[in-house]
Amino acid sequence: MIEARTLTKRYGAKTAVDSVDFTVRPGMVTGFLGPNGAGKSTTMRLIVGLDRPSAGSVTVNGVPYAKLEAPLREVGVLLDAKAVHTGRTAENHLLALAATHRIPRSRVHEVIALTGLESVARKRVGGFSLGMGQRLGIAAALLGDPATLILDEPVNGLDPEGVIWVRTLARHLAGQGRTVFLSSHLMSEMAQTADHIIVLGRGKVIADAPVAEILALASGDAVRVRTPEPERLGGLLTEQQATVTSTEPGLLVVSGLAAARIGELAAGAGVVLHELTPSAATLEEAYLSLTQDEVEYHAGGEAA
Amino acid sequence: MTTAALSPSFGGILRSEWIKLRSLRSTFWCFLIMVVITIGLGFLLAATFRSDSELPVDAQQGIWVQVATLGIGFSQLVAAVLGALVITGEFGTGMIRSTFAAVPSRFPAIAAKGLVVGVATFVVGLVSIVITAVVTAPLLPSVGIHPDLGDGAAWLAFVGGAGYLALIALLSYSIGAIIRNSAGGIATALGLILVLPTVLQIVAGVTRATWAQNLGKFLPSDAGAQMYSYPSGATTPPDVLVLEPWQGLLVLAAWVVVLFAVASVLIKRRDA
Repeated sequence: MIEARTLTKRYGAKTAVDSVDFTVRPGMVTGFLGPNGAGKSTTMRLIVGLDRPSAGSVTVNGVPYAKLEAPLREVGVLLDAKAVHTGRTAENHLLALAATHRIPRSRVHEVIALTGLESVARKRVGGFSLGMGQRLGIAAALLGDPATLILDEPVNGLDPEGVIWVRTLARHLAGQGRTVFLSSHLMSEMAQTADHIIVLGRGKVIADAPVAEILALASGDAVRVRTPEPERLGGLLTEQQATVTSTEPGLLVVSGLAAARIGELAAGAGVVLHELTPSAATLEEAYLSLTQDEVEYHAGGEAA
Repeated sequence: MTTAALSPSFGGILRSEWIKLRSLRSTFWCFLIMVVITIGLGFLLAATFRSDSELPVDAQQGIWVQVATLGIGFSQLVAAVLGALVITGEFGTGMIRSTFAAVPSRFPAIAAKGLVVGVATFVVGLVSIVITAVVTAPLLPSVGIHPDLGDGAAWLAFVGGAGYLALIALLSYSIGAIIRNSAGGIATALGLILVLPTVLQIVAGVTRATWAQNLGKFLPSDAGAQMYSYPSGATTPPDVLVLEPWQGLLVLAAWVVVLFAVASVLIKRRDA
C-alpha cells in the first residue's frame, strides 16, 4: 500500500508534483499514466526517498520509505534502467545490492534466471541494450522478494516478447497479493496490464479510477482524418466547435463532428483528404483528450 | 514470499561496498599502478644512488626509507583519483540511486564505502612500500647504505606512508562526494594536493614570507609527508614550522574529518 498525501515537489520555480493525493492498493496492478514530464518519475523517486518532498508526505505500508526496517525486502524499485554502474557486471551489481540486506547468493541467481539474464550475467552492464538494462533493473527490484513493486516505465526498450513478459509478471505479482505500481506514457500498454489507473498531467492527478471507468471516458465518437494540410483543416474544424487532437503529423482525431460534415467542410475549403474514418475513440485518444490541457510539450501547430 | 525480515546491517553494507570496489576494473588498475610505481621508483633510486662520503647511520636509514617511499609522490595521485572515482562514478552512472534505495539512511553506505576504500588503499600502500623496502635492502650495501631492518622508526615511516595514501584517498573521496562529478572531483582533489602547495611555494619564494611557508605546512600533502619522513635532525630556519609525524597525521586527519563531515551532511540533504 502506497499513500501520497498532498505530495508536492518543486524544483526552483517549477512545480513537478503538485499537491498529489492517491492510494496504491495491494492485490492489483495500478498504472501510473501521464505524458513525458508529467511528474511520474519524480513521484516515484519521492516514494522511495531519493528526493525529498517540498510539502506533503508519502508512505509505504504506513511508513516513510527511509524508516522501513528492510527496504529491499519490502519495496522493489526500478527507477530507471541505468541506475547501475556501467563498469560492473550484472551479477556483481546484484550481489552488491543483495549483500546490504544479507540476501543470499542463491536468490541473486534466482532473479537472474527469472529475468532471463543468465547469458549476460557476467558481462559488464555498459554493453547492455536498453532491454537488458530493464531486465536487470527488474531483477534488482525482485531481489528482496518485496510485497510492493514500483516500476518506472518497465517496458521501455523491451522487445514485444519482453513487453508480454513484464505484463504477465506484473499480473502474476499482483495475483499473489502484492502492490504493483507501474508507470507508462502509453495508454494502450496500461489498458492491457493495469486494474486501476492514475493519470498524471503537469504534476496533478487528473484521473484516478478503475480501468473500466477510464475506458468509459472514451465514449463519444471520433473521426480519424488524414490530410496534407492539417493546420488549415484543424482551424476549420475548430471553428465548428469540434475538438481536434493530433497524434502524428498529418493525422487529426476529431470529435464533435460527424465524418460526413468533416468531408463537406474539407471539400468546401478545397482541402485534400487522404483518410476519413469514423471510429469509437481508442484508449490512446481518450487519454490524449484527458491530458491535452495538461501536456507540457505539444507537437506544435493548431492541431494540438 | 520470504518472511525473514532481515534489515540491512553495517556488516552487510561493508560487504556490499567491498563487492562494489573489487568488481570494477578501475580499482584493479589504480592499485596495480600504485604497486608498480612504488617498487619501480624505489629500484630506480636504489640503483642510481651515489654518495661520495661515508654517511652516518641515521642518514643511511633515511635513504632506505626514502627509497621505499619515493613512489608515494606519484601513487598519491592514483590514490586520489581512485578515492574520487568510487563515489563520483556512482553519481555519474546513476548507481547512487540503487545504493540509496537499499540504504535510505545513506550515511552507513557513505561511511562503509569510505572505510573500504581507505582500508584497501592502506593495505595496497603498505604491501608495496614494504616489498620495495625489503627487495631493495640487499642492493643498497653496494652503494654504502646498510639498512637496518629491525629499525622501528623506519617501519613506523612505512606504516605512515601507507596511512598517508589511505588518508589522501579519503580526502579525495570526500571531495568527490561533495562535487559529485568525476572530472570536477579529481581536479579539485589534485588541486588541493599538488597545485596549492606549489602556489604557496611560489608566494613564499617571491615574498620570502614566513607565513606562506608555515601555511604550506598545514596543507594535506605537506603535513601528511611528515607521516613517512625518517627523523633526520636536519636544520631548518628558526621561524619555519616543522611538524612532528604525529602532528602531520593529525593535520591531515583533520582535513579528512572536516571534508567527510561536509560530504555526509550534503549527501543526506540533497536529492539523489
